[in-house]
Amino acid sequence: MPEILTPAAIYIAAALLVPFLPNGRARQLFMLLVPVAGVAVFWTLPEGTYASFNAMGMHIGLMRVDALSRIFGLIFSIAAFLSIIYAWHVRDTVQQVAALLYAGAAIGAVFASDLVTLFVFWELTAITSVFLVWARRTEGAYATGMRYLVIQVFSGVLLLAGTVLQYRETGSIAFETMTLGSPATICIFIAFGIKCAFPLLHNWLQDAYPAATVTGSVVLSAFTTKLAVYALARGFPGTEILIYIGAVMTLFPIFYAVIENDLRRVLAYSLNNQLGFMVVGVGIGTPLALNGTAAHAFCHILYKALLFMSVGAVLFRTGTAKGSELGGLYKTMPLTMLFCVVGAASISAFPLFSGFISKSLIVSASADQGHYVVWLILLFASAGVFHHSGIKIPYFAFFAHDSGKRPKEAPTHMLIAMGITAALCIGIGVYPAPLYSLLPFDVTYHPYTTGHVITQLQLLFFSALAFTVLMKTGVYPPELRSVNLDTDWIYRRMLPVIMGFLSAMVGAIWRGLSQFTEYYITSFIRGIYATHGPHGPLARTWPSGSMVLWVAVILGMTVLLTYV
Amino acid sequence: MNREHENRRDDPAAFSRLARMFLWVDDMRNVNRLVWMLVTLCVVLGLLDFAYHKHVEFPIEEFPAFYGLYGFFMCAGLVVAAKGLRMILMRREDYYAPRSVEAEEHPEFDLGREDFDA
Repeated sequence: MPEILTPAAIYIAAALLVPFLPNGRARQLFMLLVPVAGVAVFWTLPEGTYASFNAMGMHIGLMRVDALSRIFGLIFSIAAFLSIIYAWHVRDTVQQVAALLYAGAAIGAVFASDLVTLFVFWELTAITSVFLVWARRTEGAYATGMRYLVIQVFSGVLLLAGTVLQYRETGSIAFETMTLGSPATICIFIAFGIKCAFPLLHNWLQDAYPAATVTGSVVLSAFTTKLAVYALARGFPGTEILIYIGAVMTLFPIFYAVIENDLRRVLAYSLNNQLGFMVVGVGIGTPLALNGTAAHAFCHILYKALLFMSVGAVLFRTGTAKGSELGGLYKTMPLTMLFCVVGAASISAFPLFSGFISKSLIVSASADQGHYVVWLILLFASAGVFHHSGIKIPYFAFFAHDSGKRPKEAPTHMLIAMGITAALCIGIGVYPAPLYSLLPFDVTYHPYTTGHVITQLQLLFFSALAFTVLMKTGVYPPELRSVNLDTDWIYRRMLPVIMGFLSAMVGAIWRGLSQFTEYYITSFIRGIYATHGPHGPLARTWPSGSMVLWVAVILGMTVLLTYV
Repeated sequence: MNREHENRRDDPAAFSRLARMFLWVDDMRNVNRLVWMLVTLCVVLGLLDFAYHKHVEFPIEEFPAFYGLYGFFMCAGLVVAAKGLRMILMRREDYYAPRSVEAEEHPEFDLGREDFDA
């Protein structure tokens, strides 16, 4: 096998070819083959590092195949495959090329065995994915994409800085487990943290994903953040601070999700919350917890894509994804509604759905390690995610008050994509053994114990009861056309206002100073002019008689002074 | 367009068979029945806690129906807190306009609007 044949190379080559294929079925079929070929390249390879060479004294490895990279490579390929089916109707070459390159870059980053390769693909995911936002082609989308790009590229720059420092420190650029502490590892950690949407670094996610096109947000939901989870699991397993970062991540987005109106943004907040579970798993760092992170990333990509697909289908048919404008759609989009409910049940971790068999690994691991408070937070976050993603999304889109909208059912290809994804969500939930066998560590875990099922059902049904009671009593906040301030307010409002104030201040001081100096310079010049100007006393023509008189006076004075 | 739809009486026969299976949720009495079923289910699940041996990691788990009660009160608290947050955080939809997509219409070229009976 030639050393350059990696999954990423296949995606990139295909993306270069796509614009030259006739825009239609042939091109779509060709694109559909790309993820299949990508999987074929790495799936049968035994563990080891391939496509490695030395460049400028550094050891580059394009393809490290082990259990961790294999499971992420597989799920990224599945996500790419499903999103291509979902986007079957799209005839926009920009989006097609961007989606292929983006998926390829994410897979390339997963297989990178050194930090330089990781950096290249890390930045490539940023540069390619922004086109899925810009493809909306509106002024708002352009500005949103710019904000997204600046933050993503900043993450890449930090990663590069960390890599350089790491090379100076250790003489190696290998991407292996690191210990947080040196400037190099801190840079790399924060670079991962930005892409992973750590609290306070998170807002690019909720800003950009709802701004993408219908199909773009499905693609976006799969790759960037889970790539960061993978990078954390590879680089910083067992780093204790991650437990607390993750716990906060599961917690705060659920408050926003309850009051957010745009259902795609609700999904972005719940995505953030789910990432929190994975980050907690990485932080705990036991084999059980890391298995939980990998399994949860796998399941999460599927059900999150399914939810974005179903809300996307609603947007596609009605022109809006806002809770305040929707409702009653189950009558004419019943299949989309059912798929949405499957996604909702999966993210809520109902027994027999995928979230249940993956999230419970992480929650169990936190209990095993005696993290009492973290365990309570995760439990609360589990109830909360059911509340806003499990109930709110399907309820406000398909039931609630009748919006009067009677859109047609989603197009067939969207239904097929949603159907396959829903089948996978249920299949994994019912029969988790194949997924468990893919996990990085050999751990026996039985999710379906009596106690586990009953306690989970209690948690979920009592949460549903809370929703019902609050809805019936009118306490539940209605969906309102609005935006909610988040940390992005700092750079979208506060900093521009401060900059505006500062520039006004500097301008005023400058104006004052220049007026002041101008006044003095002018009056000085005027004074000179008055004395030396054409009419000034010094420029007057004097008669020679008076000159002689004055010379005589001076002479007389001199004589007088000399002899007295 | 919406107004016109609201006044239109839906003809159930026009909907797909799958959709007709769900039409009963339009009746308030059925919804109330559903709510009572949920209440019953919760009570049963709560009582089930006495029926098996629960393997616990933390002492608080031994409290009867701990998971249920925790879920109920935390969720209620979540909603009340979030509602309070709205007072501080909520702004008009065009707050960030024109540099945001919230107040924009989704561009038509990206959509496939179609009415079900069109």
